[in-house]
Amino acid sequence: MRPNPSVALAGVVLVLMVAAEPAPAHHAFAAEFDADRPIHLEGTVTKMEWINPHAWVHVEVEKPDGTVEKWMIEGGTPNTLFRRGFTKKSLLPGTKIVVAGYQAKDGSLKGNGRDLTLPDGRKLFMGSSGTGAPADGSDPTDPKKPKK
Amino acid sequence: MSPRLRLLLCALSPVALVAGVAVISLAVTRPAQPVQLAEPAPYRAPRAADGKPDLNGIWQALGTAHWDIEGHAARPSPVVALGALGAIPAGLGVVEGGEIPYQPWAADQKQKNLENWLSADPAVKCFMPGVPRANYMPFPFQIVQTPEFILMAYEFASATRVVYMNKPDFESPFDTWMGHSRGRWEGETLVVDVTSQVGDTWFDSSGNFHTDSVHVVERYTAISPDALLYEATIEDPNVFTRPWKMSMPLYRRLDRNVQLLEFKCVEFVEELMYGHLRRGATK
Amino acid sequence: MKHPPLASLGPLAVFAIFSWSTALAAGQAAEPSTSAWSPPRTPWGDPDLSGIWDFRTLTPLERPSELSGKETLSDEDAVKYEQDTLRALDKDRRTSDGLTAEQDVRNAYNQFWWDYGTKLTEDKRTSLIVDPPDGRIPPLTPKAQERADARAAALQRPAHGPEDRTPWERCILGLNTGPPMNPSVYNNNLHLFQNRGYVVILTEMAHDARIVPMDGRPRLPEDIRQWRGDSRGRWEGSTLVVDTTNFTDKTSFRGSGANLHLVERFTRIDADTLLYEYTIDDPESFARTWSAAIPMTKTDEPMFEYACHEGNYGMTNLLEGARAQERLAEETAKTKSK
Repeated sequence: MRPNPSVALAGVVLVLMVAAEPAPAHHAFAAEFDADRPIHLEGTVTKMEWINPHAWVHVEVEKPDGTVEKWMIEGGTPNTLFRRGFTKKSLLPGTKIVVAGYQAKDGSLKGNGRDLTLPDGRKLFMGSSGTGAPADGSDPTDPKKPKK
Repeated sequence: MSPRLRLLLCALSPVALVAGVAVISLAVTRPAQPVQLAEPAPYRAPRAADGKPDLNGIWQALGTAHWDIEGHAARPSPVVALGALGAIPAGLGVVEGGEIPYQPWAADQKQKNLENWLSADPAVKCFMPGVPRANYMPFPFQIVQTPEFILMAYEFASATRVVYMNKPDFESPFDTWMGHSRGRWEGETLVVDVTSQVGDTWFDSSGNFHTDSVHVVERYTAISPDALLYEATIEDPNVFTRPWKMSMPLYRRLDRNVQLLEFKCVEFVEELMYGHLRRGATK
Repeated sequence: MKHPPLASLGPLAVFAIFSWSTALAAGQAAEPSTSAWSPPRTPWGDPDLSGIWDFRTLTPLERPSELSGKETLSDEDAVKYEQDTLRALDKDRRTSDGLTAEQDVRNAYNQFWWDYGTKLTEDKRTSLIVDPPDGRIPPLTPKAQERADARAAALQRPAHGPEDRTPWERCILGLNTGPPMNPSVYNNNLHLFQNRGYVVILTEMAHDARIVPMDGRPRLPEDIRQWRGDSRGRWEGSTLVVDTTNFTDKTSFRGSGANLHLVERFTRIDADTLLYEYTIDDPESFARTWSAAIPMTKTDEPMFEYACHEGNYGMTNLLEGARAQERLAEETAKTKSK
């Protein structure tokens, strides 16, 4: 039996899962994307839109039958990444990525990038991941902070 | 010499000296020909706390550059219902030399833009106007000057930009609608180097455009207590055959208690942009 | 420019304010600063509050009910709380970690996009609200509750139009910028500028500059209303006091209405900390006034442009999704009736 304060704290954490974002969800992800339409894509980046309120990764997915689907995958605010030293060169066209997410409610080839990884399983935009991008002169293992 | 006389001579000597000098000066400088007046000294703005020219204030352009930066006659509005009040007034143009030096493909693109400007002009949709257009929209903007940063806050669309005054090596990690501004002082002039601007902003409502390679160098110089001379040199090797320049005055807003008011135009364009997606809208 | 108050009043004022906010958090009060630190001054003699300030924190606005009566946590409990919170909020937890698909969709995307801080406030408070003492927003008046219910209903249904959505989804305001500013999920930054006649609060989200005249000029007339209201500033000792009125009826901070009178206070309590306090004075909307205190940390990391409306695919997508849902519902109804 855990002592009381810890039990209280554990209970709090569940509340916080909602409270950390202004209720309701800061963005209508539930309105845009369908929990009943999970997607899993492996494809090649053709373009990355480094924009707010959400970055968008454009991915071309080659189906087994040879047809190519052009997907748009939603991410978060890129400003967080810029403060950690990433730039618009950090995810270049030609990079192979894996997208797990949910498809748009209207059935279009859009999804939220619930989990963006490289083919070897490493997450994108983490400290030592590099992005598998073609060498752009920056150190792939240690994102540099913007020069002061 | 008696002490009294000596005292008198001491008292009078500066007077005599001055009088003597005056007589001599008059004799020497009295011109034989008509007076050549020197050029009036250029206006020198009051100093900010750090000794730099003080450009603080609320400024606004007059004229029709926001409609068309090149010289143009008056022309009607595409929105018939606006009648005379939507029509575009004539303007002498702000482009030095008169014409923007487009490459042939770009001149064609400008024409297409002009013909479709109502649907294609990003400012119609309340997108931030970019640089230099933000400075000559028909709305005031405020300069808030500090030694390290100069903030320019625009009433139109609540657009803002920060000019970094002591970070010449700070590169922007991405392209932005208001560009990335780094500034320095050259005597009385604030020089601002604007890079990393998206290619989606226009120069005016007449389809004059650029790509994301555009590079703008601005100059702000006080020319009187209530006016600045604003100059902008534009370079874009994708679009123009050479750099070109625009210039115009910016006038201080003198209204009593003048302040920027809100022009959050997103609300005003939602019907335009999303009306067809409303519940019950016919497609 | 008036002569600034005697420098010796500065730290006293700071001490008084800090003590006020900690005293209101009845119970275990944090150790107030007793050193006579006074802020650097601008060349014209005002306290210098300028710079970029980071207001991330894990302390929630309202005290969780499970922690009622506990205004602050012990150091040990605070560490556990922070760890538990970060684990619960970790967006890289998926359905395989026990989340439902709906929760998973709501979590939206990887943890690397989020930036809500890793620590409680330094005094380990369990709520940013310091008054009332229970750390919770006071009850709404019936009228305010009606407004809140209408907003909630609009957000639950497939959107009829952009007006059903929040001002930040519409890209009119930022989600953490109010006013008042309040920590949220990312981009919790502001850049404060000062010149002789003005203080300007530039918030990162929605690139908004709140220009505060310091010259005692009159307010805007009653009938000019603005999303961010209209702000006027003055100094009280070393504290910048900003008074804001003239809100529209479309802005709402946790239930506030058009006649909100917002009072914000900015006090630099040490070289790296700007204490930001706000009081919500809106008797039409709340049973009583309420106040919060948020420490902000000086940072030399830059702010970046947050152009929102220019890239708001989300609005188009959510409206298209709403229309698709309605079409589906219609078709299902038709099929059933056959």
